[in-house]
Amino acid sequence: MSTESPAGNAVVIERILDAPIGTVWEMWVDPEHFKAWYGPKGASIPVANMDVQVGGKRLICMEMQTPNGTMQMWFTGEYLEVSSNLRLVFTESMSDENGNAKSPSEMGMPGDHPIVTEVTVELEDLGGQTKMVMTHAGVPQDSPGAMGWNMAFDKLTQYLDTQPASS
Amino acid sequence: MTTSATYDDQLTRTFAALANSTRRAILARLAKGEANVKELAAPFDLSMPAISKHLTVLEGAGLIVRGRRAQYRPCSIDPAPLEAVASWSEQYRPIWEARFDQMEDHLRHLSQQPQDNQTLKETTPDHEH
Repeated sequence: MSTESPAGNAVVIERILDAPIGTVWEMWVDPEHFKAWYGPKGASIPVANMDVQVGGKRLICMEMQTPNGTMQMWFTGEYLEVSSNLRLVFTESMSDENGNAKSPSEMGMPGDHPIVTEVTVELEDLGGQTKMVMTHAGVPQDSPGAMGWNMAFDKLTQYLDTQPASS
Repeated sequence: MTTSATYDDQLTRTFAALANSTRRAILARLAKGEANVKELAAPFDLSMPAISKHLTVLEGAGLIVRGRRAQYRPCSIDPAPLEAVASWSEQYRPIWEARFDQMEDHLRHLSQQPQDNQTLKETTPDHEH
């Protein structure tokens, strides 16, 4: 169900949105709309520079409050396909605030090479509603494994924290 | 295609099953090879029914499979749910699902406002009331 990339390493999510196709397109290409939905709960998107044309760059900053202060995460990428109201493809990697891609090891995670992932958004007009299919493909096979376990254990820790002590 | 609920349920069952040191120890033992209930119970100061309960939880989470023979029911580990938890793509699924929930909220918010093409451009999430 979620294994359509060559590597079988992709998330595919399909949604029917109750909005016209043009509005859904704006959600992805208009920075103000993008900021409104993209960040995780409790986070904000102070920067969304999006030069939405083939070869155009993007630079996104996610900001969240932690017990140790404000944490910023920067993501860069390039638009590979831009077909208005139809199809959008862009790459994404973690970066510094100038848009220089960083390797996971520079971010304190396992892996020496920058991880580039690719997001594809496909829209279909259903007459007032819009079908949106998003595919997020992970390019490398090796390094995310170790990172995956770290994240899984982080999730496990969080989950355990919500559990009553007895059992 | 709403896979998120199913996925969350699976994740919850996996984590719930793992949230117990006896069950983690049983999994660690089974990672070395299959074993029956008696063999699994040996290292623990627990009754056979107590061990069976833990095995039922692990089985329900899909973490182990049990053989069919009534007397000797060897247990073996099934790594698929752990791989699902750890796989690159499954980490991202809940993140995107949450984002798209927020996109739907934002779209709903937009559709409740009188709008033309201009206000669509100018709307920010800060104009709540």
